[in-house]
This record gives sequence, structure tokens and C-alpha cells, in this order.
Amino acid sequence: MIDFILASQIFNVDLLSASIRLSTPIALAAIGATICEKSGVVNIAMEGIMIVGAFFALWFTYLTGSPWLGLLAGIAFGGAYSLIHAWATVTLHLDHTVSGAVLNILALGITRYMMVLAYGHPGTSDTVMHTLADYRFAVPVLSKIPILGPIMFEQTPIVYFMYIAVIFFTWFMKKTKVGLHIKAAGEHPLALETIGVSVYRIRYLGVVISGLLGGVAGAYLSIENQATFTEGMTNGRGFIAMAAMISGGWTPIGSFVAALFFGFADALQLRLQISGNLAVPSEIFTIIPYVATVAAVAGLVRKSKAPKADGKDFIIEKED
Amino acid sequence: MNINKKIQPVITAALVLLAFIGGWSVVMGRSWGNLLILVAWIGYLVFDRIIDRQEQKESPFHTPLLNSLMLLLAIYGGVLYLGAYFWGAFLLIGALLVFSLEKRLTEGKEALAESFKKNLKNLMIPVFGFLSALVVGMIIMVATGYNPIESYAALFYGGLVKNWSVSVLNATPLIFTGLSIAFAFQAGLFNIGAEGQYFIGAMVATYLGLYLNLPPIFTILIVIIVAGSFAAAWNFVPALLKVKTGAHEVITTMMLAHTAKYLSPIFIRAFGGNPSTSNHAYVTDQILDNSFLPKFKTFLPETNYRLHIGILIAIAFAILVYYLLYKTRIGFEIRAVGQNPNAARAQGISIGKNIFRALLFSGFLAGMSGVVQVLGLDHKLFLNLSGGYGWNGISVALLASNNPIGVIFTALLWGVLDAGGQYMIRVTDTPNSIVEIIKGIVLFLIVARYIYAYLGNRMKRRRKKKNEALASMGGNA
Repeated sequence: MIDFILASQIFNVDLLSASIRLSTPIALAAIGATICEKSGVVNIAMEGIMIVGAFFALWFTYLTGSPWLGLLAGIAFGGAYSLIHAWATVTLHLDHTVSGAVLNILALGITRYMMVLAYGHPGTSDTVMHTLADYRFAVPVLSKIPILGPIMFEQTPIVYFMYIAVIFFTWFMKKTKVGLHIKAAGEHPLALETIGVSVYRIRYLGVVISGLLGGVAGAYLSIENQATFTEGMTNGRGFIAMAAMISGGWTPIGSFVAALFFGFADALQLRLQISGNLAVPSEIFTIIPYVATVAAVAGLVRKSKAPKADGKDFIIEKED
Repeated sequence: MNINKKIQPVITAALVLLAFIGGWSVVMGRSWGNLLILVAWIGYLVFDRIIDRQEQKESPFHTPLLNSLMLLLAIYGGVLYLGAYFWGAFLLIGALLVFSLEKRLTEGKEALAESFKKNLKNLMIPVFGFLSALVVGMIIMVATGYNPIESYAALFYGGLVKNWSVSVLNATPLIFTGLSIAFAFQAGLFNIGAEGQYFIGAMVATYLGLYLNLPPIFTILIVIIVAGSFAAAWNFVPALLKVKTGAHEVITTMMLAHTAKYLSPIFIRAFGGNPSTSNHAYVTDQILDNSFLPKFKTFLPETNYRLHIGILIAIAFAILVYYLLYKTRIGFEIRAVGQNPNAARAQGISIGKNIFRALLFSGFLAGMSGVVQVLGLDHKLFLNLSGGYGWNGISVALLASNNPIGVIFTALLWGVLDAGGQYMIRVTDTPNSIVEIIKGIVLFLIVARYIYAYLGNRMKRRRKKKNEALASMGGNA
């Protein structure tokens, strides 16, 4: 009986709703990484981009009082930061993994320095008064759907943005000319160059899209899910996003579904920790999402296929 | 006097053992160990002569003499310098001079000049990158209202002189994690989760340290082997998945790093940590003192009391990894797989086997980092035992272009910047996170060697264009 009560405390609509919330940053980053890798650039800098986006989103919210301006700042700085990755990998032909690793490290340094400048100490920032969580709303008709309605359509703005991003980028990659160019840049860059489209430019675009989405994902962490910025608050989500991208077979929808799974694992562990009356150390639950990620990557990686020229440097001799 | 061929390796081993016992005695504070080293050295020279005479080779006597002299000068000078006896630098310079002399005598003047020029050129890029990063850091400091000259003076005085022992302490775990990542990189693998293997090594070392009650040298050896093996085993799953399914090791090792990190509080509570007490909630009991690494203070009395011989072990491992990578068959295979897997396969080198070798040994090295930290410095495990050594190891390895010997120096540079940064915030009001930014920029500038190539090409192209334009103008006229 007690077990049943416990189970019903843990497994309910709130759990699923929380899963969606927690999967949002992962899904956004995973879609960004998907676009980036589709264009042929491996992006392990998502973690760094998210942390930069998270910091600037919070700081601008703090300065202006408006979380919307904060969100814009997060997007802008995420995009700008990803430009470094594009420059390093596409223009300077640096190894993609190396550049990504360096940018992750640099992001920690930048945010720590900015923390000291803005708040006088490293660690955790001051709390902002208004966050995007204040703008939670129920979508008129859709939220009336039984079960699914309250789970999916009584959420905060960036969650809705994530739904739109999934649909938009699926359409974008399949139906638009630019989307097809991005795909070609990752599959067969030489062919793309032959028909007169600059592979460099398309790859820059792919990386910057991932930066913009990474910025949104970061902003979600600092000004929607929480109202503060903490150093290292991404906590490996950038890498989980890459796992979602791989498990999702390099498609926006697949990334979203995989992110839901990771979000669910995260929500479940939080709940199990809070429920507290289990005779297991709480850290065991914290480990669940990470182990789930390894399991998912191990099980699904064979079925999904990376773009052919993913991570392959493309050098073209130009006469200018 | 005739020495049987079969006995030769025995004599060599005996001499090495003698030198090792001498070194260990010195480290344990018995200065007569120096005599043993001297005996081993003279023994080596005599033995070498006898062998030469026996095989009737006409090899010059100065080669073994100068080489061994250089080695001794380098070891003594290095140890003294690391122990903040800065006059050890003269011995190091002496070693360099002996090295040059030997090279000149055997290979001639030109070869010496050539190698000198080549090494200087190789050093130029890192030095230039470092100086540019300092300039960028200076600009940032001016822009945000701090005094750059004062800050840099404090940074380098603190890191290189005042807190040199802290720099060395910082560098010790970094050398291991740097080696770990560099080694995996050589096989084309990115062991981004060294932080996790660090914690596994530290946990196992603490466990053994709490219970193993043997004479110090055996305890230390057993802890190193067992804890290192556990850390290596932590990389078994990523290696298996990489080979069997192709799952990218960046993701798997990263996730396992987080897992290991969250296991450590459970471990700490099980071995002495008590979260209900307010102070030192998350600290294990102290390990038994026969597993402590010897301190520098036992043989160099003026040194900081915290400095332990972990740095010497780290340097020895760097040399070992260098030897393994560049002088053995295994190293050759690993590098072949890293450079071109298809070509390696065509040569009959097993990719899977080498992925296992590389990731497991990489895990071992990262685990050693945790072992040395527990046995040498902290003697217990606590939550923030790692100051991000696993992550910083990535920078250290990249900066050294994955060269094991280079890792020693880049780790020391990182250690100096960290220790200097701490000194800097004490004497000036500059935040030490400027150090993090400088590190990031150094890394980016040095890694992006292509920047120089790019700018160089661009300039060349522009010049060419200009020349062509001039030529065509000349043609028209």
C-alpha cells in the first residue's frame, strides 16, 4: 500500500510535465547541434555556448529588468560565441573537436570573469525579479486535451519555442533550399561547391544556427527554469544534447524525442531524490540521466548515421 | 676480464636497482643514498668500458660519460629547482651545455646548430601565442579598469618565486591528466572524461590507504597499481562501446565522468564523512601514514612542507609515456591508428585492440592523478578534491600538441598561472579569473597554428597579386 502511494507520488502528470520542462534545453541544444553537424561541422562546444547564453541572458535581465531582453541577449551572445567555432573550424581549418573543447574551457573563464565584474564574486549570481516563468500560459484549445493538454500546453514561453523549433527546423531542413544546401554541405561538400554555393558560408550558417539555439537553451536554464546563474550550471547538458542528437539519428524530431527521454530520466531522479524515504543514497538517482545517456547512445548509435562529411575539413583553393 | 653475454642484462639491472635504492634513500632523508648513486654511476662507466673492450669496438669514451653526466645534472638540477632551490637552474644549464658538447663532439658543429635552430623554431609558436594572450589580457584589464603591469608583476612573482611550490603542487595532477588525454589523442581518441577516472583513482587510493598496512614503498606501489587499474577499468565500457557500436567516446566518457563524480559523496559518507556535523561534513578519515608519499622537506630542508615527490613520479611517467609512444611497437600501432585508421588496418594493425589499449592506459594515467593527490597532498578524499584537473588536462595536452614531454612544461605553466593568480588577488584587486581568460586565449592562439598559416598565405597572395599587377603594368608600358 505504501509502495502504491509512493508510486503515485512519483508517477503522475507533474512528472511528465517536468520531463518536458527539463528536456527543453537538451532538445534545443540537440536541434542546434543537429543543424550544425548536418552542415558538416562537429560541435562539442554546445556546453560552452549554453553557459555563455545562460550568463548573458541573466545579466541582461538583471540590468534591464526585462527577461525578454535577457532572452535576446542570450541568443545574441550564444550566436556570437558560436561564430568563433565557425571561424576556427571553417576558415582556419582547426580540428573540430579541439576547437569545441577549447571553447568549452574558454566559456568557463569568460563567465567567471564576467561574474566577478557583474556581481563582485564568482559562484552564483543575484536573483532576478522577473523571469520568463512569469509568462506561463495555457494554449487556449490545445490545453483542453485530456492528459496531454496539461502536460504539454500549460508551459512557459521557451518550451513553446522549443515545439516551434522542432516543427520549423524539420520543415526547414526538408523543404527549403537553404536547408538542402546545409544537408549537402555535410554529405557532399564538393558537389555543393560545384553548383556555385559556398560551402564555407553554409557551414558558417549551420554553426551560427546552433549558437542561436544554444543561446536559447542557456537562457532557459538561467531565466526560465531558475532565476539565477551558477557557474557550470549546464552540468553536462551540452553533451547530453549531443547524445540526443546521435540517438535521434541527426533529425530535429528524433533529437526532440531523445531529449524527452533524457528529460524524463532527469525529472524522475529529481522526484526520487525529493521523495527521500527510499533507503538509497540520493546520488544514485542523480546518476540516472548520465547512465541513461550512455545506454541510449550504446543502443541506438548503430541505427543512426552521421552525415558523411561530418567533421571533415573542407579546403577550397580560391583565386581572388 | 670477460663477461658472459647472459650476465650483461643482470649487471645492468643491478646497477639500475642500485641507483634506484640510492635515489629512494635520498628521498627518505638518508643522504648516503647519494653515494650509492655515485657508485652506480662509476659502475656503469666501468661496465660500459669493459663491454666495449670485449667487443673490440672503437667507440669514444666521452659518449657514455657525457650522456650519464647530463642525466645526473638534469635530475639533480631538476629536483633542486622543483624544491625551490633555484640554484638548481645552474645544474640544468650545465646539463644543456654537456648535451651540446656531446652533440658537437659526435655529430659536428653543423648538426648542433641545425638542431638548435629547429628547437628554437618549435618554441617560437608557443612563446608567441603566450605573449599575444598576455597582450589581450592586458587590454581586457585596461578596459575593465585594472592595472595590468601591477597585476602581471604580482602574477609572475607569485607563480615563479613566492608560491613556486604551489605551482609545482598544481602541476603534479595536471601532468597526469594531461598525459592521459595526450595519450588518447595520439590514438585519435578524446578522453574528455579524465575527471571521472581521477575520482575513481582517488577513491580506490583512499580506500587502500585506510587499510593497507605495509612498509611505505610496497604500500605506495600497490596503491598505484590497484587504483590505477580501477581507473583504467572505468574506461572499459567506453572502449567496448566504441569498438562494438561506434558510440563516440566524448559522450560516453563524459557521462561516466559525471557518474564517478556523484559516486564520490557516497564513498565519503561510507568512510568517515558525516554530513550531520557542520564542519568538514564531506571529508573521509585520514589515510594511514605509511602510504604517504615522501615530502621534499625530508631531503631539502628549506622547501615548503607540503611539496611531495608526486611531481617526480609524474615526470617519470611522462618519460615512460614518451618512450612507450615513440620507441615501442605498441606506441607505433597506437599512433598509426590515430593518424590513419584505414592505412593502419591495411597494415594488419587491429583498430579495436589499440582503442582498448589507448583508452585503458589513458584511464590509468588519469587515475594516477587522483592517487598522487590523495597519497601526496591531501591524505583524504573530500568533495572538491579535484580543482578541475580532468578538464584542465585537456588544455595542457592540447597546448603540448600531445607530446608527453611537452605536457610537463605546459602543466607547469598552468600551475604557475593558477598559483600566481591566487597571489595576485591577495596583493592587487584584479580578479584571478583573468587567469582563466588568459589560459583560454593562450590555448586558442597556440592551437590555431593555422591562424599564422592563414595570415601568412594571405600576405603572400596579396604580395603576389601586387607583383602581378606591377608586371602587367610594366608590360603595358
